[in-house]
Amino acid sequence: MQEAPAERKQVPMKGTRLQLGDSPALLGSRCPQCGEYFYPPRYVCLNCYHEGLEEVALSTRGELYSFTIARAALPGTLMTPPYVIAQVQLTEGVQVATVLTEIDPEAARIGMALELVVEKASVDNEGNDVMTFKFRPAKEA
Amino acid sequence: MGERVVILGVGLHPFGRHPEKSVGELARVAALGALKDAGVEFKDIQAGFCGHVVQGVGTGLRTFGEVGLTGIPITNVELACASSSRAAMLAADAISGGIYDLAMVIGVEKMERGLLSGVGGAEGGYQAKMGIALMPALYALMAQRHMHLYGTKHEHFAQVSVKSHRNGALNPNAQYQKALTLEDVLNSRMIADPITLYECSPTTDGASAVILASEKKAKQYTKSPVFMDTWAGGTPQYVRGESDFLEGPNTMLAQRVYEKAGIGPEDVDVVQVHDAFSPGEVFLVEELGFCPHGEGGPFVWEGNTEINGRLPINTDGGLLSRGHPIGATGGAMITELTLQLRGQAGPRQVKGAKTALMHNAGIGGVNVIAFKR
Repeated sequence: MQEAPAERKQVPMKGTRLQLGDSPALLGSRCPQCGEYFYPPRYVCLNCYHEGLEEVALSTRGELYSFTIARAALPGTLMTPPYVIAQVQLTEGVQVATVLTEIDPEAARIGMALELVVEKASVDNEGNDVMTFKFRPAKEA
Repeated sequence: MGERVVILGVGLHPFGRHPEKSVGELARVAALGALKDAGVEFKDIQAGFCGHVVQGVGTGLRTFGEVGLTGIPITNVELACASSSRAAMLAADAISGGIYDLAMVIGVEKMERGLLSGVGGAEGGYQAKMGIALMPALYALMAQRHMHLYGTKHEHFAQVSVKSHRNGALNPNAQYQKALTLEDVLNSRMIADPITLYECSPTTDGASAVILASEKKAKQYTKSPVFMDTWAGGTPQYVRGESDFLEGPNTMLAQRVYEKAGIGPEDVDVVQVHDAFSPGEVFLVEELGFCPHGEGGPFVWEGNTEINGRLPINTDGGLLSRGHPIGATGGAMITELTLQLRGQAGPRQVKGAKTALMHNAGIGGVNVIAFKR
């Protein structure tokens, strides 16, 4: 019997917290005491100082709070200018710093509906796919 | 209420590109300038505070050591672009509390050419990898939001840079001493919409030095002191349901300073604000209470912040034209306001300036300081 080819492991990019697999999402924190949400995750609630927040998959939808088109890039980034740097406000009210994909940069507008995309950014030294996240214009309402 | 604090002496090493000079040499020129300006000998300085960001371990002793080894305590202070103003605040706290009568601040930085990264620190984080950590982009996000909410135009931001370069042309210590037209600014290379190249402060080599004294001590040296009257520093506050990109609570700090100084925005004659990128001045005229929220664009566009305007801002060219050697910038702001209040600012002089306000922001905190004569 032939062995199935080993499936390449997916790992989140350093500094991100991602739910990978069939229903990709950003993994944030929810405060069990006051209900505040955070991304990236944290241990202490900034609203009520409760310790030990719950890990939750955040909404994959949000709207564009602000943006800029980067025409120049810092060395060592994976992005090639021009690209859109975005501050996205998720349904829970959490804001996330990200980049937009599948969009003409000139078409970015504050308030536009967006959805999460989790995609491969690179391959690490152990051959794992390093996964990152971006947002794109929402496909359906 | 403690001892009043006097800015007794100020000095700069001209800002610009000085790759051939050491950090020690830059600092020495500024320090000797400040000592001479104050009429103070280094052996009388009781404490040193050094503002720098990336000059490495022991920069305080290395720079102060250029002008003397007298055994005094020297403290390194890092608050990104607001390092040397925080260093001055720590010196002023100590003088106000009666610990010292005479202290000195050196601010110094040598920088690489090119764009600065805004977030992540040594740990990097996904923001660096994903191209989000671009420093001008942080201001651009705020600028786009301001344009969206208030109808602010790119021209309003660009006018800040036009004014800044006009002032820089009057300042022999400025990195850029050439006036630019609005077209020059708007047509320069776009970096992060709406911010163009000429709306970005440059990377710079330079140094600043400030000598602070108790009022009692200062009487031995001057009959017309400039006071560092009131100061307040802060960091961003988490407020549920509110989000902004600010480096600190600018409005709250300004209110605290106005209250303690017994003044209001209408009493301020000359101002320094943190214009690392041109939108900064538009945001800050609002946040420091000089005009209502949303009206910063027209306020600047109509010329209010010119040297001969109602509220002269960044008379020495600001970060955009004087240059921005990050650790040295706070001390340079104090230097310009001290010269203005003494009536020694030459062609940049704001007539009859008596009260000054300064705002210096860094990643990790903001400083607001009021000066009086």
